[in-house]
Formats: sequence, C-alpha cells, structure tokens
Amino acid sequence: MQPVIDARIFIVDDDASVRQAFAWLLRSRRLYSEVFDSAEAFQRQFEGADGTATEQPCCMLLDVRMPGLSGLALFDWLIERQLHLAMPVIFLTGHADVPTAVDAVKRGAFDFCEKPFSDNALVDRVEQALAHSEAFLKVRRHAAQVRARQTELTERERDVMRLLVAGLPNKLIADRLDVSIRTVEVHRSRVFDKMEVKSAVELANLMRGGPE
Amino acid sequence: MIQEFPAQTANADTLNVSQPAQRPPSTVRRRALWGALVLLVAALLAMLIWLAGIYETNQVQARLERDTGEAVGDVRAFFAHSVQGLQVLQYADPTPNSWVIDAGSFLSEHREILRLEWRDSALRLQAHVDTPFRAPSFDRQGRSEVQSEIAVACANARRFSGPAYASSYFVPMANGLGQEVMEFCLPLQNGSKLTGYLTASYALRDVLERSLTRPMTRNNQISFTEGDGTRLAVFGSIRRGSRIFTARQLMDLPGTTLVLRMDSWRAAPDLFPNVLTALVTLVSIALVSVLGLLGEDMRRRFKAEHDLAEVLAFRQAMEDSLVTGLRARDLQGNTTYVNPAFCQMVGFSAEELLDHSGPAPYWPPESGDEYRQRQLIRQAGNLPPREGYESVFMRKDGSRFPVLVIEAPLINAQGVQTGWMSALLDISDQRRVEELSRAGLERLQATARLATVGEMASLLSHELNQPLAAISGYAAGSLNLLRADPQGAGDIGSELSLAMQRIAEQAERAGKVIKSVHDFVRRRDHVREAVAPQDLLDDILPLVHLQARQLSVRVQTEVEAGTPSVLCDRTMVEQVLLNLSRNAMQAMDSPGILERSLLIRVRALKANGTSKKWLEFSVADLGQGIAPEVQQQLFNPFFTTKAEGMGLGLSLCRTVVEQHGGALEFSANLPHGTVLTFTLPAADVA
Repeated sequence: MQPVIDARIFIVDDDASVRQAFAWLLRSRRLYSEVFDSAEAFQRQFEGADGTATEQPCCMLLDVRMPGLSGLALFDWLIERQLHLAMPVIFLTGHADVPTAVDAVKRGAFDFCEKPFSDNALVDRVEQALAHSEAFLKVRRHAAQVRARQTELTERERDVMRLLVAGLPNKLIADRLDVSIRTVEVHRSRVFDKMEVKSAVELANLMRGGPE
Repeated sequence: MIQEFPAQTANADTLNVSQPAQRPPSTVRRRALWGALVLLVAALLAMLIWLAGIYETNQVQARLERDTGEAVGDVRAFFAHSVQGLQVLQYADPTPNSWVIDAGSFLSEHREILRLEWRDSALRLQAHVDTPFRAPSFDRQGRSEVQSEIAVACANARRFSGPAYASSYFVPMANGLGQEVMEFCLPLQNGSKLTGYLTASYALRDVLERSLTRPMTRNNQISFTEGDGTRLAVFGSIRRGSRIFTARQLMDLPGTTLVLRMDSWRAAPDLFPNVLTALVTLVSIALVSVLGLLGEDMRRRFKAEHDLAEVLAFRQAMEDSLVTGLRARDLQGNTTYVNPAFCQMVGFSAEELLDHSGPAPYWPPESGDEYRQRQLIRQAGNLPPREGYESVFMRKDGSRFPVLVIEAPLINAQGVQTGWMSALLDISDQRRVEELSRAGLERLQATARLATVGEMASLLSHELNQPLAAISGYAAGSLNLLRADPQGAGDIGSELSLAMQRIAEQAERAGKVIKSVHDFVRRRDHVREAVAPQDLLDDILPLVHLQARQLSVRVQTEVEAGTPSVLCDRTMVEQVLLNLSRNAMQAMDSPGILERSLLIRVRALKANGTSKKWLEFSVADLGQGIAPEVQQQLFNPFFTTKAEGMGLGLSLCRTVVEQHGGALEFSANLPHGTVLTFTLPAADVA
C-alpha cells in the first residue's frame, strides 16, 4: 500500500458491510477513514469539540437512514457546532431518500451520493471535499495568524495599518493622523515587521485574504 | 326502555296490595273511631228525645197550673155571684113568711146551697129554708152541732162588716155517704146597725160542679183539699195511671182558705213526634256528614284530577320530546296509539294511523305479507327479541327507511295484556354513517394495500442497495489497487481487472433494475398538498373510534392553536397516523392496564434557525412501553411482536415520514407507555 494522504474521513453508516466496503474503497485510493456504526458513536467521540479542534482536512460520509439519531439529525448537530464548514458532509442515500438528501444539500451539505453507484466517482467527490476542507482550514489558519499578529500592534500602529490597507500614501496618513511623515514611516516599518510582510501590497493582500 | 314500563307497573301493583296487610293497627283504630261516632250519635238522639219529653211535661204542667188558676177564678166568681143573690134576698126588708118564699125560690135556683137561715143579731133563728133537691141534711144531726161554725163565720162577718165563711165540716148522710159543707154568714145591716145574719150552707161538691165549665171538668179531677192534702170534695173522674199531673192553688175566702187541687191525666207522651224529630235530626246529621264527605271527596277528586292533569301534561311533554317513535297496538293488531315522533317519522297523521285495521299504511306493499305473518306470530303470544329487530317502513311519500323495532307487552292495571307497545328508532342515519365509514375504510384499505406494495419495494430496494453498494465498493477498490500496481499482479492482474469490472457492472445493473421497479411503484411519490392537521385527524378518527370502542380506549386529540397546514401526501400520512394509533391501542389491550387513553397531539416546532417550519405529530399511549431488546429492532422491516403481524407497519411509517423529509422516533411516555413522534414539513403558505 502507498502512503496515506494526510486527511481524516469519517464514515457513519449502520450497515457494517457498507462501512467496510467504503473504507476499503477509500484505502485503495490512499485515503484513511474512521468508521462509526451510528450517529451517537460519532457524537461521543467528538463531544465538546468545536471548529478549531480539527486541523487536518476532513470530510464525512453520512448515511441518511439510521436507527436512533438519523443522518439529518447529526448534520443539524454539526451545523449547531459550526463543524460542517471544516468538515464537508456527503450524504449516502437510497432512492427513497433522494428528496431528503437534496434538501440537506440546500442546507449546506457538500453533496449526496445515491447507493449503490458510488465507487470512484464517490472517491473523487471525497477528494474534492477534502480539498474544500483544506482550503477552508487554510483560510481559517491564515485568519488566525493575522489576528495573532494584529494583537501585537499598538493602537497607533493599527490606525496606520488601516490607512495603509486603504491605499493612502504616507503624507496623507500623516495629515489624517496629525503626525509627522517621519513618525508614520517609523510606524509603517514596525507594522511591516510585526505583520511579517515586506510591502504595502503584501499587507493589503494579507488583510483581504482574511475573514475580516 | 319501553319494555320496562309494564314490569314496573306490576311491581307497583303488588306493593299496593301488600300494604293494608302490613298495617292492621290503623284499621282497628279506624273501626274504633267509627263505633265511637255511632255511640255518640245514639246518645245525642236519646238525649234529644228525653229533653223533648221533659219539655212536653213542663208544657203540660204549665197548662195545668194555668187551668187551675182559671178554675180558682171561676169558683171565686161563683161565690161572689152567690153572695149577690143572697144580698138581694134581704133588700126588700122581708117578713119571715115572705123571706121563706123568696128563699125557697132562690134555693131552687141554687142547688149548691143546702139551707138558708135568717138569724137575728144574737144568732137566734128567725126563719130557715132547706133545699128542695135532697133530704134535709141536718135532720140526723142536730143543727146545734154546727152552731159553732156559724158563730165563727158570723163573728168574722161582723168583724169584716161583710160576708164571711167558716171552715168546712163533714155532714154524714143517710145513705152512708156524707158531704163537706161550708157555712157562710152575711151580716144584715140597717144603716150602721147590725140587724141580723143570713147564713148559707154550701155543699162544696156542688159548688165545684156548678161553678166549673164542662171542658174543665172533662179531663180533670178537681177537688178541694185541706193543707195536708186530705180531699174534702171531689168532682170529675180520672183514669188511674202513671201520667197524672197535679196542680194546687190556694183560694182565699173571707174567713177561710181553701186549696183547689186539679189532677189531670195525660196519655203516655207520643213517642212518634219525638222519633220524627230524632229522625229529622239524624237525617240532618247524615246530610251534613254526606255534604262533608262530598266536599272532601270533591276536594280529593279535584286534587286527583289536578295530579292527573300534571301527570298527563308531563307525559305529553315527554312524548312530544321523544325522538323515539312510540306505537301501541291491541291484540287484534289495530294501532291504538302513536306519538308525534312516530307520525313525523312515517309522515302520516295520527288520525290516518289510528284504528286502521288490515295492513298499516306505513307497511311497504311488497313486505305486507311478511309483516302480517310477524304480527300473527306476535298475537300468538311469542315474545319479540329483547334487543329489538330491524324492519323497513314506508313514509307517506313512498320512500322506505330502516327502523329498529323494540316491542314489549302492554299490560293494563289489572295485569292483563291488552296489546303491544313498540318503540321505533329511525336508523337510516345510523345506516348511512355505517356505510360511509365502511366505504371510507375500504378506500383506506385499498390505499393501504397500494402503499404497502410501494413501501415493500422501497424497503427491498434499500435492503438490496446496501449489499450492492458494498459489492460495488469492493469491486471499485479492487480495481483501484490493481491499476495502481499493474506489474505486481502479473497476468492474473489483467484477468482480475476484467472480472472486477464485470462485478461492478453487474452490481450496477442490479441497482438499475431495483431503481426502475422502485420508480414504477413510486410514481405517485411526489403528490404533495397542504392539509390542515385537524383535517387529517378528522379523516382517521372515525376508524380510530371504531377500534377504540372495542378496546374501551378513550381517544383524545389536541391540535395546538395556530398550527400551520402540513405539506404531505395526505393518504400516506393518514395511513401513518392510523397505523401508529392502532399500535398504540393494541399496546394498551392488556388486562392489567386500567387507564386506557390515546392522545394524538399536533404542534408546531420552534424554527431552529433554518428556513423551514416543521410540525410534530405525536401518538402517545399508556401501555407497558417497549422492551429494550425490542427497541433495537423496532424499525427493522419484518420485525414484529404480534403473532399475525408482518412487521412492515412501523418501517413503512418511517419510510413515509422520511420521504417527506421528516423523522419518526419513539420515546418513553412517563410514567408508562410510549410516544411515537414524527415530523412533517409545514406548507410554505402559512
């Protein structure tokens, strides 16, 4: 077997043979997966987890129809905890459940997949979901980074940075803040240092890429 | 209901009969009172007669007293008259010779005077005359014997200067008898000088005889008596007997006093007038009593009439308010009574129905023979079934309608059956409802069968899809592995690849077959309409109630106010509700469960951030709950706890609910029982 891709895939299905078949299929594509026989089992493992807990890209294959807590209910539970953003959910469904699954997609599920036609098309969707997850995590990490760097700035440096991002030249910044151009230059170089950027354009990109 | 009336009346009769026997003291007392009354009336009548007798006696006595007084007056007047005659004799200043002649004629007129004597002032006899009517009385006894009486009389006369009498004395007679004689003396005066005396001897018996009138003496015995009651002279005769009335009266004469006694005989007092009086009195009492009794009777009759009128009015009101038709028939089958409800039921007036011999107007002509047969059986005395029988009657407009007839014998106050009383219920409405619910049940059952087929297909597809998905997954995985390392597998690898490919294709083919079957059966899947939750409940409740009555379960429904309409496949959701309700009621069908209550509740769920609104339906029972080992498999198809069940009910319900996007769950209904809850989407136009 080839080295596995660094990602977590959760399969939640009450049917053991289906779970194992999917795990096998994913493993054949170098994807490692964790299986749960019910929504409650998944909840037990992730009780108390919030959105920041998962740093690896991940996704979930979720059966709609299960005894006890249904797939939809688990999906709602994930939405409540904002986990569905970092963990795209692909619903597994029979014919009868298609309208339900469509509805779930409308509410934010990544996709649904009708049994039994899943095989490699399904794995492709899983990879896309993982990419989605990774992108989301990256953005979130970046935002966290920016937030962390911003906390190091002083009040005045933050003002200068805001005007810099807005594209104002030093002179106008000095006017606006009623300080000398020299002072602005000092603040500006400190902002660049603390934000780990080399230019104003880079700073603007950094700030624009974040959630703020 | 109606049949119980005669029975009750019979009971009342027996009670009435037994009551007098239970209370003999009252009868004894009443008889004693009647006896006392008769005694009192008899005593009253006796007293009345007695008092009447007393009154009559008093009357007679009073009349006798009055007669006696009159007799005294007569006697006194007689004496006065006699004195006047004697005085006339002396007026002419007679010589002895002429006096004798005059006196002789005077005596012949006055029989009562036995002898007249003219004496001088010294009482020496001048002349004398004896009465011509009898032998000289004084011959046997010397005149001197009576000298003292004459002296007393004349002494009195001289003292009074007027006529005077002396006490009487007895003069024996020659025949052995004797008579009482009273002396009279009249002083003769010439101016104020006393010249002599004129004496007369009165025979008292003759005085009585001559002085009293005939009527007075006819029935009475009149006598002069002395103070001690010794009779001196008696006149008149009397019958002996008990009814003798006696009256005495004093008669004062100058110089002496006589007692006049009158004895009167009366016949025994006539009982008849008294009895008549008594009879009249008795009749009066009887009349008054009868009047009193009549008054009491009138009062009682009035009260009874009033009570009767009240009862009649009550009965009338009762009859008029009844929706049950009542009909009474005599033993010949003639209708004798109908109430307004019956008239209304058949559309004929009471006059058209009463006294109608032959087939009744409300008998359908085609069934007339059958009904007559039935009537004959009834007349033969066969009791109809207690719970009644069904029959068909005809209205006046010719339309037929079914009735339930409950018949009971009509028994009169004497306990004799006089006919039959029937209570009739128009059951056409009931029939219509039964037919409607039967039609509804059939429709639902047909839908249910169709739904079952669909759901079985759905179930099968799900159950087959799972292994097919696994097969397909393994095949795809194996292919992936083979492709990743084409060298490692060698020649076998390409063969295996092909086989894996075929496996995947066959799995896909199987899946397609299933899908096409599924789609074929489930073409009606996407029928969705907005239905008010109450309408859903109203559709299934008649059927739920049918079973609830059998299992004696109380059914409650509760629809939260303001609940929006639900977007669903109406028939299927009704099936789900019906299925869950039946399960719930069957869960309570155990002898240990006393409180059997089924609660169907609908409420809107709070929107939890998402755009869609949901309705929650719950069906709660008070049964024994679901055992833990059953809970695991509760929704598995073909799992059942019922001997005759197929095990598809709950899994079908779940399929239906999930097709609507909802979920079916169960939880414990504390303290015992189960709640099955499912959600359905609300219609957007809420």
